[in-house]
Amino acid sequence: MKETGNADDSWTVGGHRFTSRLLMGTGKFRDAETMADAIQASGAQFVTVALRRVGGGSGADDLLESLLKLRGITLMPNTSGARTAAEAIRAARLGRELSGSPFVKVEIHPDPHHLMPDPIETFEAARVLAAEGFAVMPYMPADPVLARRLEDVGCASLMPQGSAIGSGRGLATADMLRLIVRGARIPVIVDAGLRAPSEAAAALEMGCEAVLVNSAVAAAGDPAAMADAFARAVAAGRSAFMAGLMPRGSETAATSTSPLTSFLSPVTP
Amino acid sequence: MPVWLDLPRDQAGGTATQEDVERALACSDPGARELAVLLSPAASPLMEAMAVRARDLTRRHFGRTISLYTPLYLANYCSNGCEYCGFASDRPQRRVHLKPSEMAREMDAITGRGFQELLLLTGERSEPAGVDFLLAGVSLAAERFHHVGIEAFPMTAPEYARMAEAGCSGVTIYQETYDPDRYGRLHRWGPKKDYLERLEAPSRAMAAGMRTVGLGVLLGLSDPVSEALRLFRHANHLRSTYWRSGIALSFPRLRPEAGGFVSPFPVDESMLARIIFAFRIVMPDVPILLSTRERPEFRDGMAGLGVTKMSAGSRTTVGGYGGTEAVDDGQFRISDERSVEEFCAMLRNRGLDPVFKNWDRVFMEAADG
Repeated sequence: MKETGNADDSWTVGGHRFTSRLLMGTGKFRDAETMADAIQASGAQFVTVALRRVGGGSGADDLLESLLKLRGITLMPNTSGARTAAEAIRAARLGRELSGSPFVKVEIHPDPHHLMPDPIETFEAARVLAAEGFAVMPYMPADPVLARRLEDVGCASLMPQGSAIGSGRGLATADMLRLIVRGARIPVIVDAGLRAPSEAAAALEMGCEAVLVNSAVAAAGDPAAMADAFARAVAAGRSAFMAGLMPRGSETAATSTSPLTSFLSPVTP
Repeated sequence: MPVWLDLPRDQAGGTATQEDVERALACSDPGARELAVLLSPAASPLMEAMAVRARDLTRRHFGRTISLYTPLYLANYCSNGCEYCGFASDRPQRRVHLKPSEMAREMDAITGRGFQELLLLTGERSEPAGVDFLLAGVSLAAERFHHVGIEAFPMTAPEYARMAEAGCSGVTIYQETYDPDRYGRLHRWGPKKDYLERLEAPSRAMAAGMRTVGLGVLLGLSDPVSEALRLFRHANHLRSTYWRSGIALSFPRLRPEAGGFVSPFPVDESMLARIIFAFRIVMPDVPILLSTRERPEFRDGMAGLGVTKMSAGSRTTVGGYGGTEAVDDGQFRISDERSVEEFCAMLRNRGLDPVFKNWDRVFMEAADG
């Protein structure tokens, strides 16, 4: 159990308390209304918005404007588009100015095609921004050592990849995620790669605090219905984690037909 | 021709069967071989399947969005003799260029329509439309737009670096045709005659730190299949060498223009669509552009089926957006003359979100601290 857990099973990050464990991305939707409906259906209280999509000329194109109309939502601007720590730092400062949110999702992917996070630049930006008082939530490779380092410089949470962004490959990094969860004292939120609600449930079952989804909902046939499905899967996964999963078959104590330890003597010397 | 542009004989795709096409469509990590198969005659009965795959991949990587941009021709001076171009130096076009005050007025007229991304165009470098002229345009644009790209003449790496410093984040430069012999014949005179100089320009732009480089071939000049396969090799070469820059692809078809050039390899809509589907399938994360060269029905149908970025309300004349009056005939004839509002309404009707701003100039400013 993480120290962020509470009696009502809410969780806390950067001084904010949330009951929903499903975070939503806001890109890739067919329109702002579909996005808003999906966010509402997901029950998400915490959503991320790309700074590059904020402040467009026409109102309908400005994601921030649409998001500010939603009630009960905490915004987390992200720095998607940044290639270096310097760019992410500038974007974060601008994001705080525009949204008033203390949160920033540091997202630095110098290769514009596969959008893999740069661990070196991410670490540097996180260090600087945490020192400036941001609640830093780094999008990061599922690397348990990097997770420790990011926690050490004061990040508010860790956001390791389930798999490549937009790939829909689910929890391809499951083994690394387990190591990160085991070591972390701050919330671990799986970000990127999820396609099916069952994968979100699996992330919660292994002890992740929450998951963030975007493509899986935005590219679904019915985004709002898919958002609702994710919300229920996340709740189920969390309940399963709290209930304590039974050990796997291979981990249960098997009894052998001829005892292996019968030679041990009860007599003390 | 550089080695990385060579086409291996076994990847020509000429002997592909329908089974090969089905395998290529099911392949989880398709590459050059699959591209050749998808462009082969065997794939033509499987257009629907290709379209579905292209749409699904587009949706997965780009969502239900279409990015919008608009071109602004700053000048039509040219010293090249491209046989197929309405701005070639022997065409009887009136030669004009925009003064800085006119550029600013045009740009303001364009931002007034909602655009946050501008593509600045000129002909070959020539006075009065050389590097400094273009730099002035870039600087003015960078004050008004989040994303500024240029489609002009090949430059040296230091020149590209100056453009980047002035606020330019993208360079578009099409090889037109990758066939060196044909290239030599079609580019009758002028600096553009130098095939390698142009071929290496994207590398220089990327080395100078450009965010995105747009590549393309002018379909109609040579065999479209070999052109597509070479374009794929060029794109891959750049991606592996300059991994911090993005590639965008465009497949302009030769349009009727002032010189009356007749295409030796006409490409019909179904082949153009197949090329776009095939590239989406083998390069699922690369933006693909479609301009107003194509007719509205084709553009509407292709939006989201591979295509992720489109121009709208475009002029191919120097100026002409309202800041100045156009006096030339344009580089080529536009087929889609709908207004930006009409175009966006069409996208929305098709369940696509028109995105004007998908970039923030804060990322460029960070470069200077």
